[in-house]
Amino acid sequence: MNVWDILIHYHPAFLKGLAVTIQLSAIIWSSGLIIGGALGLAGAKFNCAVGWPSRFLSFMLSGVPVLVFLFWLHYPAQAMFDLVINPFYTAALTLSIINIFAVADQVRGVLQDFPRQYLIAAKVTGLTRRQTIFRIQLPLVLRQIIPGLLLLQVTMMHTTLFASLISVEEIFRVAQRINAQVYRPVEIYTALGVFFLLVSLPINGFAFWLKTRFTRNLSEQ
Amino acid sequence: MLKASGIHKAFGDQHILKGVNIRIAPGAITCLIGPSGCGKTTLLRALALLDYPDRGRIEIDSKTYDFPLPKNGHTPAPWPRVTAVFQSLFLWPHLTLRENIMLPAQNCNENAEKDIHGLIELFEMRHFIDNYPNQASIGQRQRVAVARALILNPRYLFLDEITSALDIEQSARILTKLEHLKERGIGIFMITHALGFAKRAADEVIFMEGGKIVEQGPPKILDKPDSNRLQSFLSLADIAA
Repeated sequence: MNVWDILIHYHPAFLKGLAVTIQLSAIIWSSGLIIGGALGLAGAKFNCAVGWPSRFLSFMLSGVPVLVFLFWLHYPAQAMFDLVINPFYTAALTLSIINIFAVADQVRGVLQDFPRQYLIAAKVTGLTRRQTIFRIQLPLVLRQIIPGLLLLQVTMMHTTLFASLISVEEIFRVAQRINAQVYRPVEIYTALGVFFLLVSLPINGFAFWLKTRFTRNLSEQ
Repeated sequence: MLKASGIHKAFGDQHILKGVNIRIAPGAITCLIGPSGCGKTTLLRALALLDYPDRGRIEIDSKTYDFPLPKNGHTPAPWPRVTAVFQSLFLWPHLTLRENIMLPAQNCNENAEKDIHGLIELFEMRHFIDNYPNQASIGQRQRVAVARALILNPRYLFLDEITSALDIEQSARILTKLEHLKERGIGIFMITHALGFAKRAADEVIFMEGGKIVEQGPPKILDKPDSNRLQSFLSLADIAA
């Protein structure tokens, strides 16, 4: 059985696993970008009330390996509260929390590092508040932030593989199960690697292109 | 006339401006000189209402600002009638040099499209006007920053050591252009170390030290200073020149 035979023969299982991976990624990405973006904005605006607590939680989270956090929410936390939650939701929640704080950190950092001199220039040249936000702040902030956010989202998609360890039937777990039946690890994991390359490389390439094309030297030098 | 009286400004326990009184007339060049850290930039920022003074009064033509400002009171912004160009030029890096000039001009100059051509000629910017700031030299960016201020038709133009990063030739080119602005009725208030320019083109020279004005008057004070402190400052400036 070569790699194509495996893919063709097991394509319903692979597609099912792929659908779970995509669903998981979609939840993590959307929650991270929406809630994390909002948290980052709030953190930059209300540094004491939101910024510091969010930074503290992010700092604490960064000290816990993803797998430990995932297992902790899957086993001890559910045992403590006498709950049984579908592992898909546990994985989605765990990875979303990580993504939310990572996105918030990036957004807050870019906003807080925004060069004040461009706002002063906007003031003394009489730009309206609307012009200052939409013609100066937003374009500069987006150019700084988008490449980093794209790379982060690719990394988050890769972390969905951890969900297989708590029995989420995502693509890696499907590949493991098929491998257990046919024992063709080279073909199966190569196919999996190629799949992730095909998804990740265009996003990474786009992020690098954005970075070189739009991230200008903000120091004016 | 822009008049400021009794201007005080402190940052924490550092009292930077100690009761400064100053007048800037339209159509005149006022040069502010003084040693580093004497409060020149703080004064400029206070007069431009970028940093409010702690105490004092600033009158810009018919508008009066008394400090400290009343809480919850509306403070009409003086910009771009009063505008400023700083040592760091603050050109927006994502816009071309032309867009840097045109974006603010759209708000207050109906003839902006026509005026920019005049400014391009005046400051010899034709061959680089469509570049981005990071593709232009410091001298070119300096000219754009001044052009961006001028297209707003300001009544008062504040310049903070705008030639400090330029070589002699580039400085001379910009300073010569400034002399023409008097004819347009613009009141120019500039912090400068170009004493030669101050002697030749200024209508008034102000020497400041320790947050106070030590001496002020026509440019001849630079040849015959009254105060010992200005005298020693000028002799050191001669050595440095």
